[in-house]
Amino acid sequence: MALIEINKLTKEYSSGIFKRRKVLALSDVSLNIEAGNIFGLLGPNGAGKTTLVKVLLGIAFPTKGAAKIFGKNVKNHRIKKQIGYLPENHRYPGYLNGEEVLNYFGLLSGMKYKDFKDRIDELLSLVGLEKWKKMKIGKYSKGMMQRLGLAQSIINNPEIVFLDEPTDGVDPIGRKEIRDILLDLKNKGKTVFLNSHLLSEIELVCDRVAILNKGFMIKEGNINDITAVSDRYSFLTSDIGDDFINKLLLNYNAVIRSKNNIIFEAENIEKLNLIIDYLRKENIFIHGINREKDTLENMFINLIEQQKQQHLNGN
Amino acid sequence: MVINTFIKGIFREALARKIILTIFGIISFFILILILLITNEAVRFLLSALEQTSGGNMKDAVILFQSEIISKTPLLMLMCSYIVIVSAFIPSMLKKGYIDLILSKPISRFQIVTGHYIAGTVLIFFMNLLLFVIIWIVISAKTSVWHFPFLYSVFWFTSIFAVLYSIVVLMGFVTKNNILTIITSISFFFPVTWLLYWLNKYFEQDTQNIVFSSFAEFFIKFFYYLFPKVWDIQDICISVVKAEPLPDNYFVSISSTVLFTLVMLTLAIYYFNKKDY
Ligand SMILES: Nc1ncnc2c1ncn2[C@@H]1O[C@H](COP(=O)(O)OP(=O)(O)O)[C@@H](O)[C@H]1O
Ligand SMILES: [Mg+2]
Repeated sequence: MALIEINKLTKEYSSGIFKRRKVLALSDVSLNIEAGNIFGLLGPNGAGKTTLVKVLLGIAFPTKGAAKIFGKNVKNHRIKKQIGYLPENHRYPGYLNGEEVLNYFGLLSGMKYKDFKDRIDELLSLVGLEKWKKMKIGKYSKGMMQRLGLAQSIINNPEIVFLDEPTDGVDPIGRKEIRDILLDLKNKGKTVFLNSHLLSEIELVCDRVAILNKGFMIKEGNINDITAVSDRYSFLTSDIGDDFINKLLLNYNAVIRSKNNIIFEAENIEKLNLIIDYLRKENIFIHGINREKDTLENMFINLIEQQKQQHLNGN
Repeated sequence: MVINTFIKGIFREALARKIILTIFGIISFFILILILLITNEAVRFLLSALEQTSGGNMKDAVILFQSEIISKTPLLMLMCSYIVIVSAFIPSMLKKGYIDLILSKPISRFQIVTGHYIAGTVLIFFMNLLLFVIIWIVISAKTSVWHFPFLYSVFWFTSIFAVLYSIVVLMGFVTKNNILTIITSISFFFPVTWLLYWLNKYFEQDTQNIVFSSFAEFFIKFFYYLFPKVWDIQDICISVVKAEPLPDNYFVSISSTVLFTLVMLTLAIYYFNKKDY
């Protein structure tokens, strides 16, 4: 049994006068997430990522389909004792200070003050806010709010944390710190559900990813599988002379990284071996060959393009 | 306990908003005037005036004075201030980015509505307690008449507030806006229920100067019975303070008002339960 089971979830928002304007935010989304992973949900703005998390947390209700967490329907509010959440654009009452925010939301998470009062200082120093804990959060910067939000989301020591665009407005060092916290959570056996439109974020920490576009789940799998579909090979060779480089550029679709590192594209093994034969014939030593990983970014752009094409052909 | 947390949160929010301090400042100002007004000479004057008219004594004079403090105009002013104080609780909770957080906690939507309802009522209970106890002590100390039933007003005024607060809560969920909540809730209280109260009184008189059509009378009575009878409850409060028998219709007034309050809360819970945030 997966930790999070999402079964054919569809969400249609109705808005406007008499609720006539319909937006299909999720369409037949199914997904299983195992415990102990960092799961990344990727997609452009408006893809439905936030909606999916809201449905899982009972903040919005599905139009069709159902979801379970810990084997229980998400309608059951008691499961949320074991769940943490950092909403996108979260806000707290501005008259509270950092410490009071953690205190208030710790209590709302159903815990007793004495059980988490030590954790407040621990978490504030983990996210680097201990110096500002007595400052009213109305004066916090966006990055500080994100850090506080992260601390708040794990105040109840949850089994699952949902983070919606957690690095939004955070500087690069802060991003690194947030990633380290996520990896630390994973090492403690927790499950992290990360929503992001930033591919690099997902690539750096996630074990599994799913790609959502316009409410449709277009790809799901291990990050290594998803990104290993490239047919580019990086050759490490002995030094290659300039005139031979020109020949390579002419005859093969080669990318020259340096005198002894050339990237070839080969859609199959025969082609790859032809390239090897060619290089050997010219007395070039091959020191190594590596299959290049497709970056998530390429993959992502390709998929979105494909979907657009299908959409056009369909019409 | 979730309720405790909400009470804590609402007290914190109420204190953070300058409005509660402003209103408390105004109330304290009136109390101060009261203290200055009830000088010993005034008390002696009141006593002699009452003795001359009805052969009454100091106790009657004090009770008369106390029932003025809980009469219709002060009730109106006090309740309007209270509505202003609590009007922002629900809309501020519904702000984007905050309601998401509240709903992600292990609390049912039913608990969120009832928790905020109870917390707001407890807040106003303490304000009433403070207000009436101070007034009572001031009057009693000046006159040496310690008329305890005046303190029952704390209960009755809190109950009247609780009725109005159910409307404020419902309106808060529907409009998500504190100004609209204030306007709708207050206009429902005054003039709507106030007019219905007086029209009903008018129909109960033996002779009537203006004759309403039977349909109009039915229409008015229908709404009179449908809507909360906060002004009748205030009559009950006066009777209790004066230690007089309760008005005849007290049971109908109280039960129909309680029913109305429950309906408002049920509607709020129902509305909130269906909504996506
Ligand atoms: N409360 C709402 N009412 C109507 N439409 C909504 C609402 N929330 C989101 N949407 C629409 O649903 C779609 C998905 O939004 P969202 O889940 O926020 O996407 P993402 O988080 O991936 O950017 C968007 O088209 C958005 O406009
Ligand atoms: Mg989003």
